[in-house]
This record gives sequence, C-alpha cells and structure tokens, in this order.
Amino acid sequence: MATLELDRPPTESRPPEVPSSHVQRLDARRRFSLGGVLIWVALALLIIAPVLSFLVLSVSPRMFQQGPEWFTLKYVAQAFQGYTGRGILNSLWVSSLVSVLAVAVATTLAWLIHRTNVGGRRLWAILMWLLLLMPTWMMTLGWSDLLRPFGAAQALGIPSTFLYHEFFGPMGIVIVLSAAALPFAYFIISAGLQGVGPEFEDAARIHGASRVRTLRTVLPIIAPALLSAIAISFAETMSDFGVAFTLGYHSHFPMATYALFNAIDNYPANFSVAAVIAAVLILSVIPPIALQSRVMRSRSYAVLSGRTRAPRRREFSRSGRIAATGAVALFFFVALGIPVLGAVGGSFIANLGIYSASGVHLTMNYYTQVFHPTISGKSLFAPLLLSNQLGLIVATGTGVLAVVLARRLVASRGGWSQRVTDVFLLGSVAVPGVVLGVGYIFFYNLTFISQHVANIYKTLPLLMLALVASALPGQTRFMSGPVSQIQPSLAEAARVHGAGRLRSWRTTNLPLMSRVLLWGWLLTFTKTISELAIAQILYPPSQEPASVTIQSYLANYDAGTGTAMTVMTLVEMLVVIAVALAIYRVVTPKGWRRIGWSGVRS
Amino acid sequence: MATNRLEWGSLMSTDRKHRAAGVSIEHLRKEFGEKTALDDVSLEIEPGTFLVLLGPSGSGKTTLLRCLAGIERPTSGSVAIRDQLVVGPNTFVPPEKRGLAMVFQDYALWPHLSVAKNVAFPLHKSSRTKTEAEAYVGDLLERVGIAPLADRFPNELSGGEQQRVALARALAADVGLILFDEPLSNLDADRREQLRIEIATLTREAGSTAVYITHDQSEAFALADRVGVLDRGRLVQLDTPEAIYRRPKNAFVARFTGIAGEFPVTALGECGPEHLEVALPFAPGQTVEALALDRPRPGVDSSLFVRASGVSLLAPSSPVGVYGEIRDVAFNGRGYEHVVEVGAATPLTKIYSPHRFERESNVRVCFDPSSCFVMDPMRGN
Repeated sequence: MATLELDRPPTESRPPEVPSSHVQRLDARRRFSLGGVLIWVALALLIIAPVLSFLVLSVSPRMFQQGPEWFTLKYVAQAFQGYTGRGILNSLWVSSLVSVLAVAVATTLAWLIHRTNVGGRRLWAILMWLLLLMPTWMMTLGWSDLLRPFGAAQALGIPSTFLYHEFFGPMGIVIVLSAAALPFAYFIISAGLQGVGPEFEDAARIHGASRVRTLRTVLPIIAPALLSAIAISFAETMSDFGVAFTLGYHSHFPMATYALFNAIDNYPANFSVAAVIAAVLILSVIPPIALQSRVMRSRSYAVLSGRTRAPRRREFSRSGRIAATGAVALFFFVALGIPVLGAVGGSFIANLGIYSASGVHLTMNYYTQVFHPTISGKSLFAPLLLSNQLGLIVATGTGVLAVVLARRLVASRGGWSQRVTDVFLLGSVAVPGVVLGVGYIFFYNLTFISQHVANIYKTLPLLMLALVASALPGQTRFMSGPVSQIQPSLAEAARVHGAGRLRSWRTTNLPLMSRVLLWGWLLTFTKTISELAIAQILYPPSQEPASVTIQSYLANYDAGTGTAMTVMTLVEMLVVIAVALAIYRVVTPKGWRRIGWSGVRS
Repeated sequence: MATNRLEWGSLMSTDRKHRAAGVSIEHLRKEFGEKTALDDVSLEIEPGTFLVLLGPSGSGKTTLLRCLAGIERPTSGSVAIRDQLVVGPNTFVPPEKRGLAMVFQDYALWPHLSVAKNVAFPLHKSSRTKTEAEAYVGDLLERVGIAPLADRFPNELSGGEQQRVALARALAADVGLILFDEPLSNLDADRREQLRIEIATLTREAGSTAVYITHDQSEAFALADRVGVLDRGRLVQLDTPEAIYRRPKNAFVARFTGIAGEFPVTALGECGPEHLEVALPFAPGQTVEALALDRPRPGVDSSLFVRASGVSLLAPSSPVGVYGEIRDVAFNGRGYEHVVEVGAATPLTKIYSPHRFERESNVRVCFDPSSCFVMDPMRGN
C-alpha cells in the first residue's frame, strides 16, 4: 500500500456545512476583472508604451521633442539608404537563407533522432538544449578563437587562416545564425513528427501507395510544423543582436539590429532613424509569426487522438546506424563542439591572436585575470554575480507573469481580452531586444515618465524590467502549449473533492507543469545571463552585467581574457542547470517526474 | 464477499442515510454569450435518490451538473444542497465547500499520483488517522476490484480500471452527494454493463444521493429512481423511469426514450377514459387502440407513437394483426430484433421476438394499447 498524503490535521467528520464566511458575496463589479486590468497596466508599462512611443518617432519626431516635424517620411527614406539600408537588406536575405537552412537540417535531425534507431538519442536531445541556451555571441567568439591566426586551430597545427577570412563575412554569419535558429526549428518539427503515428503510413501502404506516394501523403500532416519552424527561424534571425554586434561589425557586414544600435550609439543619437529600423524589424517578423500562429491554430499537426500509437522507428542496418549516428555527431561537433572547443582552447593560448615568433604557448594567465585582473582592473566576479542576480529575479518574475498570461490565453471562454492578449503577445515576440532596449531608454527618460510614473532611468530596475519584457512574450507562448493541454477537469476534480484554489493549483497544475516551469525558468535564467542587446544599452553606470564586461574586453583587443570570461560564464550557466536539475530530481515526488511537457506521460 | 461488505459497512459513516443530501434547484438559467444552455430549470431531489438526467448532446445536462458542482456559475436561479443555499442572488459557494463528489467523463485522474493517492485525495479534511485512511482506501479499492493496482499510475491502467479509480475516489469522499458526468461513455459495451451495475450498487450502498447524466436511455432506465429529460436547456419531464416510458410528456420524450415507429393517424372515437381508437393509414379498415396523451384537436394532426415493447409478431396465418413484411432480422443473444415493413413511410424497428422471422417473409403485427400513444407530433419541438 502506498503511503498517503494527509496534510491537514484531523477534524471531526460530518456533512460539510456552508458557513457564512465561505459564501462568496458577488456583486456586479466582480464581473469586471481587476486582474485583467492589472495585467494590461503591467504590459503597457513593460512593452506597449516604450515600444510604441519609440516607433512614433519614425514619422513624428516632434511628438517627443526629437525634431521639428509633426509628420515626415524623411527618416524612412534615410533609413533605407547607405549603411542602415544595407543593414536592413542584409538582415532580410540572411534571415531568409538561414530559416531554410535551419529547417532543412532540423527536419533531418528530428527524423533521425525521433524516427530511427540512431544511437545516443538522449545525448543529442541534451545537446540540442545546450545549443538553444548558447548565445550567438559566444558561438561567434568560439569560432573566431579557433580560426584566428595564432588561435586554437593553429595551436593544433591546423592551418586556418583562409577559413578565418571566409568566416568573417556572410558565410560565418549564416553558419552561426543557422546553428542558433536550428533548435527552435528542431523542437517544433520534433513535436510534429512525434505526433504522426504509424497508422497514416500503414493506411497509405495498405491502400496501394508506393513509398514516394506514402511520403507525399503523410508529409502534409507535418507541413504546419515545417511552416511554423521556418517562421520562427526567420524571426529569431532577424532579431538577433549577438552576431550583428560581433561578427557583423568586425567583418563590415552591417545588419539591421546593429544599424539600429549604431543609430543611437553615435553622437548625436538619431532616434528617428533607429525607430524606422525598429519598425522594419517588427513588420518583417510579424507576418511569418502571424502566419505560423494561424496555421498552427487552424490546422494543428497534433491532430491525433489518444488512440494514436507510438511512432515506429526505422531500423537502420548496423553500418547504416553507425553512419547516421556519425552524421548527427558531426553536426553537433560543428554546431556546438567547434565553438566550445575554440573558446576553451583559445582561453589557454598565450597572446591569443597575436603573432609570436616563438610559436604558440599555453597559459593559465587569462583565468587569473578573470577574477584578479592586473591590467584593466575589471574583474568578472561582480558582473557575473550581478548577472546571476538579474537572472534569478528576471527568470522568476517572468515565470510568474508567463503562467498568469498563459492561463489567460488558454482560458476556454475567450472573450475579447483573451484574443487581444493573444495577438499582443504574438506581436511582442517579434520585438527584438535591441528595439526594446532603445525604447526603454527613450520612454523612461521622458520628463513626464521620470517625474510622474517611475524615475528609474539608468538604474538596475529599468534593466530588469526590460529583460522581463523581452523574455515574457516568448516564455508565455512556451508555456501556453503545456498549459492548454492540461485537462480542465483535473483541477475541477480537485475543487469538487474539497481542495481550495491554492491546493487545487498546488496538487494538480503545479506537478503537471513542474517540468516546463523548470525548463522555462532555466531558459530565461541563462538567456538573461548571456543577454547582450538590452544589457549593452541599459546597464547603469559602474554596474555592468557579465556579457557587457566580456564584450568590453573583446572590443579592447584582450581576446584571451574575454574568452576566459566567456568560458567561465558558460561553465557557471551549465553548473546552475545541472544543480537545478539535480534539485528537481531529489525534491520532487516520483509522480511529478513521470509527467512530460504537456501533462501526459513522457 | 460478505466479509468485505461488513468491513465496508463498518468503515462508512453510521448515519449514512442522514448524510444523503437533498438538492433543490429553482429557476436555474445559464447563458454562454447569446446561447442559453439552461432555461428556467427547477427540480427537487430527495435525499438518497438516484436521479438520471437524460438528454441529447447540447440539451444542457452537463451544464446543469456543472452548475450543481460549482464548476459553472449560473446566470440566475438558485441551488440549495442540504437546505444550504449554494447558488442564489449574490451567493456562490465554491465547489470545495459544497460537500459533494464527482465522477468525470474523462475520469480526471491526476497522472502524477498513484491510484491510492488519487483515491485518498478527498480525505485531506477527514478525521481519519493516516493508518485509518490507508485502510479505508485499501478497502475501497478492494470494493471496486482494483486493490492490486494501488501503486500504479493512471496511465498504466485500462479505461475500465481508470473508471473504477474515479468511482472509488468519489466514494472515498463519503459526502452524501455524488455527481456522475456520463461516466460510462468511454467504455466498451461489456465494461459499460458491468460498471453500470457496480455504480448502482455501490452508490446505493453508500446511501448517497446521485445525479447521473447520460444520453443513453437504457442506461438511464436501468439506473434511475427518477429520470429527468432535458431538451434544449429545459427540463421537459421529471418522473420515474416507468412513467417516462409509459406516459411521455411530449413527442420529444417519446422519441428520445425509444420508439419502434411513428405514423400519422386519424382518431375514430374514444374507448374508455384514456384511450382512443385510431385508424391505421397503411392498413385500410384496421384500427388500433392507443393511449391518448394528447386529445386530438380539430385541424391538428396527430401521430401514433409505438414502443417496440408493445409490438408483437405473429405468423401470417394468425387471424389478428396487420400485415407486414420482414425487412431485416438481427440476433441479439436472447432473441431476434426485426425491422418490419407495414406499408407506412417508415418501417417499424427493433421489434423483438424469441422466434426468427426470415427476411422478406410475411407476418402479422399486433399492437399493445398500453405501448401506443396518440400525441401531437409537433408538441415538444
């Protein structure tokens, strides 16, 4: 007999009566949702007001005292010329190419990992998560440390100079961004593939279809997933700042996000041109995301009932299995292994990237510099501690808000409020971090806001709010899937059988969502630590987060120390993930760990 | 299993009959936007009654059950349980304070809890010690026949086993009012029959009032002390199963509770206080006596509704009955069900006979007056 959870002191058993204190007195005002109003006030201050007030400047600089015109298209024309124009054009074609490449590779990988007997499937799943968590600027750094003259490859006796020049250009940018977009595409396509049971293939074959016709028949079932993956890859690439700020800048290949940053970083700042670029970024990302949402809503690939059997794996021959496993391993080596090895290797090479007549020498000096700097005096300790504090607060705050919003999104009787929330969050996913950062600088520096609403300009709370605003839309959509798949009857059963709201949530929703809450928290935590765009724009004086400190070392040609700091940050992030997962395993009951992402047995 | 019954009985509250909850629903209305799901529903449920709410999809039976449970908030009207107002003007008592249990259509078993923990869930407020509670849950599981599965998780059980867990959980609450939301609809025919008997037995043994919803009239009649028939949000008839079957209030109730055929007829005259003699349009010169649930009015068409149980088949040489031809025959275990063409627009269906009449053979069809009703076919539409 299993032990029972009895968490209330014994009381006399008798038919429940209804004391007056338990009777909820209702009045007409209760129908007006106070919670809904509070949420919208929060969203207005977090996202709507900063972004919209900033975007208005693109055509009406006078509205916020940024120029003499009430309405002008001058800045629109200006934004599409010269450096910024090239940046916009480059971002568009690179994003298009990357989305196709990422989805092609992701589809192959998803099929190999989920539908064949390829070896090491658990390992590949973990590595895909690590790839998702790896920021693009870290990837760039790893590649450049590996390939640069007198870098890690050369230390191993591998000539790399010719590749280095190729890497510092569109090719390198496409490679890094494809690797970064790939996990998003992979997870979407995997879900689609896992949902397609063998009965569709069986039915086609039994009714006389050839292999090709069977494929043509079954493939449209995951077409929404493919389309969705292309849309999300495009959106992620368009809004990336890490590659634009590092690889794009150094290779003189402008991209839209850097052009935007550049417009406000130069003196005098040109907020109107920056606003035009921001509008272009948002407008280019909204259509694919809206299309993805529409497709997913109208024709979900999860069309299958509970009767659907587990997908059948294709059994490769021994040699085929080795080849397939090798191909997957090669992919992860290129996408994840090379940048990590490049960064780790580079952090031990004395005078990294600097010609030395006596050859390549190994050193631990950079790691000494990380926490005991003797040259610049900037230790990583305080910035990393600050980044962790930010990560903790932002991940927790975002998690709470995301759960509240996700519940509103999936509320069964959706009124206009739910629909507006859905559309709004969809649009907000398309707002790049750099747009949000610049929007915050502009909005919270307005005299009216600083005097009457919140005087937080150039403070840590402003940075925190911006990070929450940046993570919230994606996190909410990340959680809304699992939340929507928890049958309402589970919570209703708890309520009917005597559990109050809190106990009902604690005993029903929390266990079913625990895994997605944990991973959502870890995702936001690590993304916050490695976040660059908002941190670079909004960090308060003398309170640099780790990513900004690292970039300042790299920009000042101290690549070795910058690389060692990157490695330490990466290791710290991995340690936090490992510790969090270990705690989850130890603390949670067995039943919680049996539950998959969507409240069903994993 | 006399021992089990004894243990079971000793574990249940001694004043069980007193615990059974009475329910009073008055003028209940529920709107979803512009759609009215419940329209002025009023009913009284005596303590210990097994009430079945019967109706087609969209008739409002699930909404009514959910309003009773507190999962839905009615637009207007009142609900009292054990004479305590739980829904009324400016009053809404949440589900956990209403003192009831429920078996859900999809079972609603928590996938992260074992069978034993699912069943023990309602006990968190009970006065039992942990050991007593474990014994109580063990006995309940024994009672519903799944004691060996106590440590399993719901996804490791079959549909029937999951339903037994849901039933055990509802019984564990021991609150005197159990709601059943089409609990057998996801089960195959064999399991449905078996569980139906167990639900009836266990619920009555527990002395609880039961409100059970279904769209299956045979299930309703088998289980119920009283049946409430719902149509488009209105409670059309509330009565004993026998009365519902023998004296349906309108054409909808008659049709929904199963008829063999329906024919337009002309009344010839009265035969006693409640019966009419009607001419069968498909059998010139033939008449039949029928219960007049509606008095035919001038200018208003009437229909003859015939229950399958009131039709018998005789050999063609028989001197009584109208002529018919067998269109189809199906063996149902204890006899044969026939489809009989009698010359009307639609054939008579589900006509039982212990003897098999072959397809395309001729028969004589006799009608029992107690199972034939004359009604306005539009009444209730």
